[in-house]
Amino acid sequence: MSKKKAKTDNTVYENLKLDIPAGEEWTYQIEGMKAPVIGKPVENAAKKKVIVVAVLLVAIALSIFFSVRAVHSETYSFEELESGWQFSKFSNPGDITELTVDYADGDISRPIASIREYAFNCDDKLTSITIGKTVKEIDGKSFYSVWNLRNIYVDDENENYCDVDGVLYTKDMTEVICYPIDHDAYLREKAGYKEELWKDSEGYDEKYIEAVQTYKIPETVVKIGELAFNYANLVTVYLPEGLETIETLAFFKSWDLANVITYGAGGEYKSLPDTLKYIGSDAFAYDQGLSYMFIPKSVEYIGHHAFWDTVYKENGELRGVSVMNVERSEDDFSANAESGDHWLPSYDWKLLKKTIDVNYSSVREK
Amino acid sequence: MADIGKKISGFYHEVKGHWKTPAEGKYVPYREYKDIFLAVGFNYSGNKTLEYIVFAASCYLMMYHYKLPYLTFSVINIINMPLNYIWTMMTWYIADNLGFMKKKTERKFYVVYMLLIVIGLALILTDPSRLFSPGSRFVTYMNSLEGINCSSAFKILGTHILWNGWFGARNIFWRKKLVPKYGRYKYGLYCNAIPKSIAVIAIGWLPFYNIPDVITRVWVANLMFAIYNLFPFDNSLEMCAQNISPNVRERIWVRTIPIKLSHFLNSIVAIVMPVFIGMLRYEWADINLFKYIIPGFFVFCVVVTMLFAGRIKERIPQPPLEKKVNISFWDGMFGVMRNKYKWVNTVVGLIDSLGNGMLPFATILYLYTFRLSGLIYSLLVALVSFAGTPPDFFAPYFLRRFSYKQLMIFYQLSRAIGNGIIVIALLFLGDRVNLCGTVCVITLIFMEMTKTIPVTAGHDMDIRINDYQMYLSGERLENFSGVFGWFTGPITSFVGLIIPLMLLRYGFNSNWDVLFVDSSRIKIIVIPIIIDIIGYVLMTIPYIFWDYDDEKQAKVMEVLKAREAATGGSLDGSEGAEYNPEDELLPDAPETAESEVTV
Repeated sequence: MSKKKAKTDNTVYENLKLDIPAGEEWTYQIEGMKAPVIGKPVENAAKKKVIVVAVLLVAIALSIFFSVRAVHSETYSFEELESGWQFSKFSNPGDITELTVDYADGDISRPIASIREYAFNCDDKLTSITIGKTVKEIDGKSFYSVWNLRNIYVDDENENYCDVDGVLYTKDMTEVICYPIDHDAYLREKAGYKEELWKDSEGYDEKYIEAVQTYKIPETVVKIGELAFNYANLVTVYLPEGLETIETLAFFKSWDLANVITYGAGGEYKSLPDTLKYIGSDAFAYDQGLSYMFIPKSVEYIGHHAFWDTVYKENGELRGVSVMNVERSEDDFSANAESGDHWLPSYDWKLLKKTIDVNYSSVREK
Repeated sequence: MADIGKKISGFYHEVKGHWKTPAEGKYVPYREYKDIFLAVGFNYSGNKTLEYIVFAASCYLMMYHYKLPYLTFSVINIINMPLNYIWTMMTWYIADNLGFMKKKTERKFYVVYMLLIVIGLALILTDPSRLFSPGSRFVTYMNSLEGINCSSAFKILGTHILWNGWFGARNIFWRKKLVPKYGRYKYGLYCNAIPKSIAVIAIGWLPFYNIPDVITRVWVANLMFAIYNLFPFDNSLEMCAQNISPNVRERIWVRTIPIKLSHFLNSIVAIVMPVFIGMLRYEWADINLFKYIIPGFFVFCVVVTMLFAGRIKERIPQPPLEKKVNISFWDGMFGVMRNKYKWVNTVVGLIDSLGNGMLPFATILYLYTFRLSGLIYSLLVALVSFAGTPPDFFAPYFLRRFSYKQLMIFYQLSRAIGNGIIVIALLFLGDRVNLCGTVCVITLIFMEMTKTIPVTAGHDMDIRINDYQMYLSGERLENFSGVFGWFTGPITSFVGLIIPLMLLRYGFNSNWDVLFVDSSRIKIIVIPIIIDIIGYVLMTIPYIFWDYDDEKQAKVMEVLKAREAATGGSLDGSEGAEYNPEDELLPDAPETAESEVTV
């Protein structure tokens, strides 16, 4: 329709008048449109009503059926893959606190070969999971948000994984897979504490921190897996010299983590090991307990948001990681280290955000 | 320059001259434009503010403080679903008769609603699950559902029944009292504004999120939100303003200028509020957001809305209330089914359900990809939403130049293309946060700009469909149109659960932090968007059958005006003869029409 024609037509419609005979206002049928039906009995009303009711009943029944099917989940779900049976989803009926992952539905002819990512997602009842001897592959995200999980045990006969006092490792002890979120509760009980202590609680001291909120990663470990220590209630973590990779979200929201200490043959020193090459995205995000961070010259990659929100303002003062110490010079860092966007933390500054300063060519604090 | 000066002067004199009385051929004086700007603007802003408080997985109060499992919301919907069909039918009947029924029928409704209140209270206060054996299949099944058990399921059901009894009785009472004075759209503001404000304040302060047991937390939160939802503060003034004139050009003009400008007020609120939120220690997840910021903004919006709502009128050509057509249940059901254009909309909605359960992509992008907060967040949100405003001022031109069919097909295709670009950006630039985000934001701006005019057309199409329905049935039957949702229910409920279950598989549950996991976030966003793109392309098909043009609309309005004149009605249907609730309906119903209508 041309612009000119459109305007002409509108004028016509605005002045349009219909010749509606008096008394026929409620029955007048516009040409080319359906006739109004107001107060007139519907033809074949009974038949039509039956059809409508029948169709609606079927539709409603199907709606309910599909919806019920969709939300009902089996307690255990398994999938058969080429590599064997996979434990794909656990839906806690509310009373299961300990679980063994070995055979699908207890059938020994269907051994579990792998555990899918998010298999136990957001469970808040499980306290202990035992991995059977047949499991060959565990996704690092399998135990994500299992809030009350204290220990992950592994069958001694498992050839791929093992546990060290409830913490999950690969069998060769080169990678830590998962430090359960509530592992500190187990350590607390083991050390004889009756209840959880907080910073301002009576009895909260170095001894408590050492027994409950400190973890020493074995010296054989070269990789900390994805989400391995997320939400961990740790104050101090000892990293082994020889560690090369800290994966994505490895220490994500370990709110109280204050001390990262490297240990090795030559003794102990502050912050990350000199052997470290890779820091994944969000690796230390939201760890506001941290204050000193040193990036050794061995680091070749830092993922985006690796130290996001590790700095904050309190009473106008910057707290947390307020300066990033980098061993390489600025030019060397730009040329030889790859870094993702926003890898440095930033803080509120005049309604905006400001990135912290970087101290290049820095020397590690003693 | 002189020309511009002349135009400004002419415009000034036009506004001054018709400040209180409309120009010839028009129905709306300019003073009402000012009222629309303020009242619709703050009604809209208040309504938008309430989007932060919903009983759904998208609400921070629910997810961070109440920590409710994601799937529990679907479970609760299913518990409520069967009975909901009955209450819905009752509500349609009441609402499409504007609350005016024969006295006998009204009494029956009241008895049913009172009974529901008693049953609902009984189910909440007692524990009917004790009647079942603890080891029975029913109890075991109920206990296996996420976030509830058999006992709490009865309380949830009781809450639903109580709510519907209370809501139904209230619905009749307030409609009868307020519709004659305020019209069919805005009456709700007058009975809900104060209780809603109290509910908004209470919801942040009630410390139920401290209840340690998740099952108790779920049913208590459900009850709390049921009470909160009893008092809707919906965007009714905008609906009223969209029906402000029988002149179709004036309708579009009002929608384009004062209504659109009124949305600027929400843009201001949308900028200011996140700045306040950014000042909170835990930002979006801070409980003080729900204790102070949201109630503060909401109450302010309510006050301004109520100050300026008074003069805004709906002007639908219709008989006065005492002569309105009385719609029986089957008249309503068959009436809407005769409306071809409602079928077109139904099919579009059905295809659109492919995207049901999708998370708000843009919010995830801002908060989890960009990690924005405070002023920057506000400015970006405002920039994107503002992008849609300038094109709106050209809406009258485009609506004249192109058919509604063309506009709607263009709209669906532009959404498909925009989302396609976003998918490509997320898949190929995912790690490069800044670049990926920039591409996405530019695309969002493009989508916002291309969306505005079709959305305006869409609103006008809805109003026109209702005008056409009024021509067919003597009433607008806006509520009976819900029956289409029943027909499509099996498909939408099946399709609509695909995405939530898929998201659950990708790790999205009660802990939103999963969105920080890059690989999961991309799956959680991208796969639903791809499903959505397929939907957008398919949605172009039903619009091919849309043939309701300006000429047909003009003729329909002529018929409605003729009916109005024949019954001595006024444009808002409320200023005819005094309505006496003691009278039976339709004392002087037109001989050819309502006299044969039965309830």
